Amino acid sequence: MEEGGVNVIDLTQADESFIKELVELGAEELRECIQCGKCASTCPMALAGLEFFIKRIIHAANLGLRDVLLEDSSVWGCQSCNRCVEICPMDVKPYEVIQAVRRAAMKVESCPANTYEGLRNLYRFGHAVYPKGYEERRKKVGLPEKPPTAISFDELRKKYQEVLKQTILEEIAPFPLD
Amino acid sequence: MKKIGFFLGCNIPFNRPDVEYSARYLLNELGYEIVELEGATCCPAFGTMPSLDLVGWAAASAWNLSIAEEKGVDIITGCGSCYGSLNEARYHMEKHPEIKEQVNKILAKVGKEYKGTTKVWNFINFLYEEVGLDNLKSKIKYNLNGLKCAVQTGCHNLWPSRAYPTNEENTFYPTRLREICEAMGGVAPHYSTITDCCGMGALRSTASEKSLALFKKKLDVIKEEVDPDVNVMGCSSCLLQFDAGQALLVEQKKLDYKIPAIHIVQLAAIAMGADVEKATAMASIPLNGVITKIKGGN
Ligand code: SF4
Ligand code: SF4
Repeated sequence: MEEGGVNVIDLTQADESFIKELVELGAEELRECIQCGKCASTCPMALAGLEFFIKRIIHAANLGLRDVLLEDSSVWGCQSCNRCVEICPMDVKPYEVIQAVRRAAMKVESCPANTYEGLRNLYRFGHAVYPKGYEERRKKVGLPEKPPTAISFDELRKKYQEVLKQTILEEIAPFPLD
Repeated sequence: MKKIGFFLGCNIPFNRPDVEYSARYLLNELGYEIVELEGATCCPAFGTMPSLDLVGWAAASAWNLSIAEEKGVDIITGCGSCYGSLNEARYHMEKHPEIKEQVNKILAKVGKEYKGTTKVWNFINFLYEEVGLDNLKSKIKYNLNGLKCAVQTGCHNLWPSRAYPTNEENTFYPTRLREICEAMGGVAPHYSTITDCCGMGALRSTASEKSLALFKKKLDVIKEEVDPDVNVMGCSSCLLQFDAGQALLVEQKKLDYKIPAIHIVQLAAIAMGADVEKATAMASIPLNGVITKIKGGN
C-alpha cells in the first residue's frame, strides 16, 4: 500500500468470503469491533508509526479488503504482545485477527522472505533463530558447544520434523520437508 | 532437592549464553536441580507456526511441553516469547479440547502425548512467588548496594493475562521485577513508560528504523525520569534490544548516552557470587560500573 493511500477505502473491493475465511482462521470475534481505537492507543505498531496499524487492520478486515490486507506488510510487524487483546472492550482479540490475516497470507505466499527463513530453520534445526558462531560464544562461558536441545539429538529432531510434517506446514512450506 | 525443567529457547543458548550460564548458576544457588529438556525446540516463535495455523502451533508447543511432562517437572524460561508462546498454546488446548485431541493424534505418531500437567514459569514470577522475596534475600552474597535499576518486564511476561497461571496484580502497573531488585538491595522506581514495548521482535525485523526509534523514545524517558545505573530485563529479547540495539543507536550517532542492560537472572546470579566474566560475557555495553557498585558494597 502506498503511503498516504490508506485513507481511501474502495468498497468495491469488499470480499465477503474473505471475512469468513478470517473468522475460520481464528478471528472469531472480528465483527464485534466498534472502532473505538483503544487497541491502537496501546499498540507498539501504532506507536512506532506504522501507517496501517491495528485499528485500521481490523476495519479493513471487517470490510473484507483482501488485497489491501495481503499486500501490506504491517501485520508482519505485529509484536504478538497482546496489549490489544487485554484492552479491547468488545473482546475482539485483535491479535487473533492479525494472526488470521497472516495465516491467509501464508496460504498465498504473500509474506516477507524472512518468515520463510524462520520456518526453514525451525524445521531443519528445531530452532527458528539459529545464528552462526554460537559454539564459540557458548565455550566462552564454559557451556558445552551445543545446548541439549533438538540440535544435539538427531533422532529427536527427526521426530520433531515428523510432528511438523503432519501440520499445515507440509502443504504450504515453499521448501522441501525432507 | 526440588527439580525444574530449564527451557532454553533459541536466543539464550545461541546469542546470549551468558544468560544461560547465569540462569543455571542462579537455579543451583536457589537449591533447584536443573532437569535438561532433551530434544526441546523453539517455543515456536510467533512469526513461525503461530502465524500458520493454530493446531500446528499447539502441536509444536506440545512437543516441548510433553518433554517436561515425561520428566514430571515444571518449566522455567528466561525468554518472554517462549513464556508467551508455550502458555498461549497451552491455553488454547485447555479451552478447545478438540485442538488438544488433534494435537495428540499428531504426537501419537511419534510416541508422545500431551496431558497438560506442566506449568510454565518465567523468572520474575518464579522468584517472586515460588522462591519468595525473603528467601531470595537470604541467598544474596553481594547486596546491590543501592544500584539504581530501571526495570523492563517485557510484553509477553504480562499479556495476554488470560493465558497465564500467575501475574501482576495490575499488568499495566507491574511491580514484581521492581520488588525483586529492591529485595536484593537495589532501588527500582516506577517510570511513566514502564510497560512500553522495547521494539525488538517482529517490528525490528519488519521496520528496523521505526523499531529503534520507538525504543529510543522509551530510553529517553528512562534517562530523564530515572537516570538509572542499569536497565534490568525480564525478557531475553528485550535484553537484545536494550544492549545490542542501544549500542547500535550509539554507533549510528542517534543516542549520546549509554545505559548498560542486564537480565534479571544475570543480576541475581552475580549477587549470589557467580563468575562475573561468564555472567556478562556477551554484553555489548560494558557492565563494569554496575559490577563495581555491587562488589564494592560488601
Ligand atoms: S478491536 Fe477492540 S479496541 Fe480495537 S477498535 Fe475494535 S473494539 Fe476498539
Ligand atoms: S499484539 Fe500486535 S496488534 Fe496487538 S497491540 Fe501488540 S503489536 Fe499491536
